[in-house]
Amino acid sequence: MEPILSVRNLSTWFYMEEGVVKAVNDVNFDLHENEVVGIVGETGSGKSVTVRSIMRLIHKPGKIVSGKIIYRGRGKEEDILSLPDDEMTKIRGKEISMVFQDPLTSLNPLYTIGDQLMETIIQHQNVDRKTAWEIGVEMLKKVQIPEAEKRMMAYPFEFSGGMRQRAVIAIALSCNPKVLIADEPTTALDVTIQAQILDLMRDLQKEFKTGMLFITHDLGVIASMADRIIVMYGGRQMEVASAEDIFYNPLHPYTHMLLRAIPRLDKKQDKLEAIPGQPPRMIEVPDVCPFAPRCPRRLDKCSKELPELAEMEPGHYVRCFNPVVESEKSEAITNE
Amino acid sequence: MNEPIIKVQNLKKYFPITKGFMIKKHVGDVKAVDDISFEVYRKETFALVGESGCGKTTAARTMLRLIDPTEGKIEILGQDISNYNRTQLLPFRRKMQIVFQNPIGSLNPRMTIGQILTEPLLFHKIVETKQEAYDKAIELLRMVGLKPYHMDRYPHQFSGGQKQRIAIARALSVDPEILFLDEPTSALDVSVQAQIINLFLKFQEELNLTYIFISHDLSLVRFISNKVAVMYLGRIVEIGDVDEVFENPVHPYTKALLSASPIPDPKIEKQRKRIILTGGVPSPIARPSGCFFHPRCPFKTEKCEKEYPKMYKISENHQVSCYLVEKEGV
Repeated sequence: MEPILSVRNLSTWFYMEEGVVKAVNDVNFDLHENEVVGIVGETGSGKSVTVRSIMRLIHKPGKIVSGKIIYRGRGKEEDILSLPDDEMTKIRGKEISMVFQDPLTSLNPLYTIGDQLMETIIQHQNVDRKTAWEIGVEMLKKVQIPEAEKRMMAYPFEFSGGMRQRAVIAIALSCNPKVLIADEPTTALDVTIQAQILDLMRDLQKEFKTGMLFITHDLGVIASMADRIIVMYGGRQMEVASAEDIFYNPLHPYTHMLLRAIPRLDKKQDKLEAIPGQPPRMIEVPDVCPFAPRCPRRLDKCSKELPELAEMEPGHYVRCFNPVVESEKSEAITNE
Repeated sequence: MNEPIIKVQNLKKYFPITKGFMIKKHVGDVKAVDDISFEVYRKETFALVGESGCGKTTAARTMLRLIDPTEGKIEILGQDISNYNRTQLLPFRRKMQIVFQNPIGSLNPRMTIGQILTEPLLFHKIVETKQEAYDKAIELLRMVGLKPYHMDRYPHQFSGGQKQRIAIARALSVDPEILFLDEPTSALDVSVQAQIINLFLKFQEELNLTYIFISHDLSLVRFISNKVAVMYLGRIVEIGDVDEVFENPVHPYTKALLSASPIPDPKIEKQRKRIILTGGVPSPIARPSGCFFHPRCPFKTEKCEKEYPKMYKISENHQVSCYLVEKEGV
């Protein structure tokens, strides 16, 4: 089956006074219907800019410098990046919607939850206010907000953080989009509330068969959500594979080290293996492997050339000249 | 067994709620910390965990005497400091230091790293001259993995992880015995978090430090601490050795917290049974009757709605405040 969304050679740069920040470089991936693709990475790795580029939410000094974003949800292939603005408005919120990290800033404090829900519904579905109200109530029930009719008239400040995020999810799903982008949707929430929201998102994603792009820096969260995972570092994809391969068979040194740097709840560990050095500064970086300065497996050519994102195993893509090989992994396990 | 280095007894911190403009009427209290007791021994890492608003940070700040306790005793190194005044507290300020969550907010942007590190040395008269202070500051920078040439730079020239290293160097400059770590890595990326955590472990070993570690990240707590106290709405609901509490949690809230914490392993994540709690944490102004957790508790009984459960001892190093212990006789 054709993927619903294909991102091809996407690069988004920011033209700052200090120089060009190459936030996203040459990103490629596909998202299918009813699939969850996770993007993990640290601050500045380009994960948010990637999805904002898909929604065309990049403003000056940022610019999408190259690439195509093919959307196939409307019965034909369309390049989102070359659509006129009014067409894009029809796609945003209807075909592709987005849930942001902080629900307090993504809701307008001056309008009731009902108004904000109905605005999206009326904009995209060609219904009167009464029907929109009914759809709105139905959506609030779907995201398990109690006393939905009453809550339609409440303002965002009257909701707790978890409830706000539920309302934002209700708005995002109100027009039954084919693609849902969730940018760190639970980072601002407490862990018991995070568990509720993740549970809800999993259920709704299955029910609506939405293709979901899920962005997080938390490897635990991504393990519970994603079918496939993109690991980003320094504005580039370092490894793309199924969730199982990323966690049990990581080939890129960065992924490998990242997994050993995080503490685990279910195990007693003696030490964490820290990754030395700092995340890269993004200004005027040369086209070499961004992880090279911190990489223990660095070869001479790593800081001279950029490795290709190559398919090393079926469906398992790695950008590295010197990937972690099988024998070293088993050695690492016996050491533990 | 040696004497505890920190002994907290029935510590309470209430923030009054007032009404009225000229004549303020006391209409209630936010009971941020409500009757907590525990002991910490030398070289231990004691973790306070819980969700936002559970009182973990207020507890730490009260113990540091950054805010005054409403009631209760805080014994540090054998002395009750809960009623000490500024001058009496001065020697204890040296013994107890804190590393905050946000290194950007805790370093003065107008001071160079050199000034930041030498100020406490000169203030507490740990060194005699500026030159000695300068030398000691360079040594501190080396200890936390920075270079001498960083001395003349300003905080904004550093990354988040480096700023946190500077904050640690400053805390260590006065040779403290107890370090309060208030979410010291939650503003940092995972790859940098591990560096900072390893630094804490190294210093604990080398300098015999005692840590009070405040965090909402249970995986990190499991890794770094020996003892853990789980707080809910100002009270400790479960306390004990970290392995025992995490492997055999008794309080339903502890169980829920543990099952809600994600594990970076897709197979485990798919098979895990989760306890999904309904609703959110109630307001600390209008706490529920009886056990504060009963409105969200899947095992609540009639008794839970009426009376707050006392602390039951499960083993030498594990206590829990829940009626389930009585019923099941764990």
